Amino acid sequence: MFDRIRRRKLLATAAVAALAFTVGLGASETRAQSSEKVTLKLANSQWLDALRGKNLWAAVAKYQEANPNITLEQEAIPSAEFADKLTTEMGAGQGPDVAMMQEGLFYAIADAGFLVDLSAAADGTKLNKTNENGVVDGKRLGVAWQRAVYALIYNKPLIDAANAKVPTTVDELISSAKAASAATPGVIGFTARHQINDFSGWFMDFQSWAYGYGVNWVDANGKLTINTPEAVAAITAFKKTYDAGIMPIGDSFPTQRTRFKEKHAAFSIDNSGGTLNIASGGALQSGDLYAAPMPFKNPGAHQQIFVGVSSHGKHHKEAIAFVKWLVGPVGQQALRDASGPDALATDVPVSDVYSKANPWAPTFVKLAETSRSTLIKGYEVETAQIMRFVMQAVEKVILANADPKTALAEAQSAIDKQF
Amino acid sequence: MSVSGLKNRSGMARLLPYAFILPPMIYLMVFMFWPLSRQMYMSLTNTRIVNPNRGRFIGLGNYERLIEDPAFYLSLKATLTYTVLTVVIGVALGVVAALAIDRPFKGRAVVRAILLFGWAVPGVAASLIWLWMYNERSGVFNRITELLGIGRFSWLTSTDYALGSVLAVTVWQVAPFVMLVVLAALQSVPQEVREAARIDGADGISTFRAVTLPHIRPSIQLAALLVAVWSIRRFDIIYLLTGGGPLGSTSTLVVKLRQTAFEGHELGMASAYGAVGLALALMVAAIHYTVEQRRMKRMSR
Repeated sequence: MFDRIRRRKLLATAAVAALAFTVGLGASETRAQSSEKVTLKLANSQWLDALRGKNLWAAVAKYQEANPNITLEQEAIPSAEFADKLTTEMGAGQGPDVAMMQEGLFYAIADAGFLVDLSAAADGTKLNKTNENGVVDGKRLGVAWQRAVYALIYNKPLIDAANAKVPTTVDELISSAKAASAATPGVIGFTARHQINDFSGWFMDFQSWAYGYGVNWVDANGKLTINTPEAVAAITAFKKTYDAGIMPIGDSFPTQRTRFKEKHAAFSIDNSGGTLNIASGGALQSGDLYAAPMPFKNPGAHQQIFVGVSSHGKHHKEAIAFVKWLVGPVGQQALRDASGPDALATDVPVSDVYSKANPWAPTFVKLAETSRSTLIKGYEVETAQIMRFVMQAVEKVILANADPKTALAEAQSAIDKQF
Repeated sequence: MSVSGLKNRSGMARLLPYAFILPPMIYLMVFMFWPLSRQMYMSLTNTRIVNPNRGRFIGLGNYERLIEDPAFYLSLKATLTYTVLTVVIGVALGVVAALAIDRPFKGRAVVRAILLFGWAVPGVAASLIWLWMYNERSGVFNRITELLGIGRFSWLTSTDYALGSVLAVTVWQVAPFVMLVVLAALQSVPQEVREAARIDGADGISTFRAVTLPHIRPSIQLAALLVAVWSIRRFDIIYLLTGGGPLGSTSTLVVKLRQTAFEGHELGMASAYGAVGLALALMVAAIHYTVEQRRMKRMSR
């Protein structure tokens, strides 16, 4: 009898002890989880930008201060290799937790199903229209990081020295550029991308010329229409500028930007991100750099970067929380201070102090209201392939003096076959 | 030693060569034949780079598209022109340079080091240096042509000069390698045979044709084979200098492959381009093999 009671007591004690141990273990596990360090890898080509990269990283790093259990780590990939590397990594089921991608790449990655739903991150935030393309097939897969609109930028002291006017047409651009070169020996009149070996940059830049002349690339029914009078006019204008002897033919665009930065160029068509780079850390003072609408009738293009969270990442919850912070007031203000006049995910105005110190900034802010995406509507994933044919037509016109209409007809025929 | 022990030892001896050959075979299987067979299979699918494991089998669809695409023929033409010219010019210059520095002269070591420089410099670094030398506005070549009064040239953006400019850089890299290989072969040419030919009244060219050339021909052939295969698959120099332009004049198969895979995201189609490149390289190897076999037959006679 006593033996039985003792055995029962022993069993009960063991059960209580086991329960207590399990509960204790669970509690300690929960404690361990909550204090567990999580590292989020953020991929962005801008981390490598001379001054802007440092400022942008300082902006996002503020998230770590508020969330000590999160460590942010850079995956810095040069912009020329960014798409190649990210598609390869993600195709292999690897890659960063969060990526800041150009719009075209964003669509390709979204199309492959490699991005997680960011609705939770966007909840309760008043996102502006720069986020519209972040919704793919009804799902919020991306939020805007920055929108960099194109404008005509110029070195004011050089223009003043030549007594040249700020151009509003291509003909005026050519004459003002020539005047600037004549007034200051060694100065290049105008810089712009113009080579096929810089294809991805060139086609996005060229969209400003195309849109400026009213090109849509698709008709009202969504059919690809490449060979249009508007496109002929855009290519003819580009050819005229190319042949005018005002461009440094053969220079890569980074070289052209450096020339602008060092006061060796008068005019350029560049986006606000590139302009911020030119205005930072070179011989040209930001106060001497001005911007104007491009010398075309219609609004131009913008480059858009989206933030997406990879479905291959191990920390979706933490990554989404980071994106939520990023589009929140603290994150947006931090980003604004590092982004120049680029439009952000929410309407955070550029400060008066900034605009005063950087007279080029307000023009970009204004142009962002009407600019268009570099991607072709309805063909977002295929835009680069389509534009390859278009840019080959441009190349034929500027290098082989082909007739723009004939070159575009050939492009249209090739595109019709493939798409 | 017992009979069984001897049997065991001879069995082990029979297996020994296989044991030696096994590690490289495993290496080749894992890092060459497996990826190659994957690529060949992929060329029969519609695989996209962002989803490499979800490609659907489409038979010869990619090859049909290739055959119908005029850009493919342009690319094939660019590859063949580039390869043939690189082999002819690179090997010729390499052989001449080897013959020139074969004989002792003052400062030979320095000259040899200078001539080898092109081969020693990594392709990317060399391309970036040449890119600046070719620069239309600030490049050294246009400074020279301006001083000579013949004006500036669009070295990399004109269809007339782009391929030639790319070839110049390639030959600058390739010729030193050929020179090195041929120089090693020249060291093995028996001096006494040369002397005998000279005593018999043969002039320099006849001595070269009758004595030197037969000795160095296998090395020249081997160098030509390697240069041809490397030219078919060369990417860095061409991509960095012209990106395949202008107007596709330097768009070789490898450049086109990169463009198809990473710009169009069509990994299946890019694999088809790769398969054509592989077929070209195998053809070059087959030609080399046939020529070599014929030469061996002639020698044995």
